[in-house]
Amino acid sequence: MLREPFSYDYAPYQGRPKIEWPNGARVAFWVAPNIEFYELAPPPSPTRTVWYRPEPDILNYSMRDYGNRVGFHRMADVMAKYGVRGSVSLNVAVCDHFPEIIERCCELEWELFSHGVYNTRYLYNLSEDEQRKVIRDSRDTIKRASGQDLDGWLSPAISNGETTQDLLAEEGIKYTLDLFHDDQPMPVKVRRRQRLVSVPYMMECNDVPVLNFKNTPPERYLQIIKDHFDQLYEEGAESGTVMCVPLHPYLIGQPHRLAILDEALRYVTSHDKVWLATGREIAAWYEQNYYDRFAEWMKPFNATQEKV
Amino acid sequence: MSPTSTSQVSADYFTYPHRRPGVDHTRYGHRYLRALPKFEWPNGKRLLVWVTVHLEHFPMDMPSKPITPAGGMDRPYPSVWDFSTRDYGNRVGIFRLMKVLDRHGVKASAAMNSEVAERYPFLTQEIMRRGWEVMAAGVDMGHLHHSQIGREAEQALVEKSFGTLRRLTGQAVEGWHSPAFSQSAVTPELVAGAGGKFIADWINDELPYAFATANGELTQLPLSHDLSDHKVLFQQNMAVEDYEQQVNAAFDVLQAESMERGGRILSLSLSPWIVAQPSRIKGLDRLLARFAAADGAAFVTGGELAAAWNSHGPKT
Repeated sequence: MLREPFSYDYAPYQGRPKIEWPNGARVAFWVAPNIEFYELAPPPSPTRTVWYRPEPDILNYSMRDYGNRVGFHRMADVMAKYGVRGSVSLNVAVCDHFPEIIERCCELEWELFSHGVYNTRYLYNLSEDEQRKVIRDSRDTIKRASGQDLDGWLSPAISNGETTQDLLAEEGIKYTLDLFHDDQPMPVKVRRRQRLVSVPYMMECNDVPVLNFKNTPPERYLQIIKDHFDQLYEEGAESGTVMCVPLHPYLIGQPHRLAILDEALRYVTSHDKVWLATGREIAAWYEQNYYDRFAEWMKPFNATQEKV
Repeated sequence: MSPTSTSQVSADYFTYPHRRPGVDHTRYGHRYLRALPKFEWPNGKRLLVWVTVHLEHFPMDMPSKPITPAGGMDRPYPSVWDFSTRDYGNRVGIFRLMKVLDRHGVKASAAMNSEVAERYPFLTQEIMRRGWEVMAAGVDMGHLHHSQIGREAEQALVEKSFGTLRRLTGQAVEGWHSPAFSQSAVTPELVAGAGGKFIADWINDELPYAFATANGELTQLPLSHDLSDHKVLFQQNMAVEDYEQQVNAAFDVLQAESMERGGRILSLSLSPWIVAQPSRIKGLDRLLARFAAADGAAFVTGGELAAAWNSHGPKT
């Protein structure tokens, strides 16, 4: 086993090169709806149990199915109301199961990136070739369904292999969301030195951990999003920050929570120095303008760090 | 150090037998709530409020595996604390709850463990006297329906639940709720085989839909889980103010949608040992007062809801 991921170098949040977003924005704000498919009868994983109850776990299956029947359109309506595009963390099999969802994402000019094939198929216990197969399936499926290139990646159920980030770079992926180490984009360290960017994907604002793991009341969740934004907006005056709100239609699309999303987006979009971006746009802006500068600046902090 | 990246999965990890339009099983077809044509409920109503009261019996010696239901015994045997806290609902909480429901003219669906009807005939009579609907909800909370109990044993549970409740209430008892929302792969077949007409176990929709079984079709009703007192007040340990806020927020969204897009349902899933505690009941009272006064809204039972759907719902 490795003692650390070896995917990134140390970079103190002090004295960094200044990031300037388009049009003088302080915060690059992006929303990442996770559009997922959990299988009722998935193949077993050697690493974790897939469902919480003996199968068929109809309670947990149907809770997630709600997102694709009911929650998605409701969530998309609210986002469209505020002109906020989604960057979809997509289990790509959704393209085959529910093509109408993909059609609406395309109409709304949302970005599609990969969150694996199904949320019940992990990267755990896969060989590198098998992981490549998942990445290539994702690329082909998204291209076929939407005409989009696959640029971004969030491992299904956040199940990483030890060399997943290396494989992403080798397969032409441009940005990864698997690293939760920073409030700004960062260079990712990969074995063949391709340019891979990490874009912040914020678990602190993700509806699953906040609402479901920590049992936070919705109004408190709203306050967390506002406070999170206020701080990053303040710091963004000095150097551009990123704020991400990861969502799941099966949670945020519930009638008792929808107003939270509405008010959060109203609040954020009422600020003038906000860049309403997609994951792809943030990664590209950083890669073109700041990747080299950051990589160079970080060197002194990592003089003795070599990938083992 | 070389990375551990040898394959440890079987070949079927890369076969996707159900990767095609629709869901990955044959119980129901996929449907988008937003795509349904606009419709009204009977009598020009737009928003039906379905109140379900769970009458549960938690045996002190109940198993905790493979599933511990919310309200199961948390402490070492003999947990008099857990047992008597739940049983409180069947002696005190339910009568406090009935008073509030009576005041707002609500006839509820009583989703009953048959053991409650057997143990407490007076309570059963009070349910009948109010004209509530009785739904079968298994035998007790120590006998959940899941794939490890075997078909024969499960069939006996289903038949005992329906049989006992029909005998003790004189009602036809056509509704079913699986305790703790847990089904085996054949629960729907067994329910249909025992004369059940509707179930309320899957939490993937806000309107009813047709649910296929080998013994004929059932109507699946949207019983709230995420907004139940079980989930919000017990499992998530939130304050009653947060419960009230969320139910009100749900009502706001559903009422607006019911005007714009067609009939909707608000399901209130209530447990006397949770929401009928003295510190919480006023919150429920306020909610019911609001719903009772709302234009276009009406209280219904599960059977009425299934009938309304089958007569007025869009045929999809």
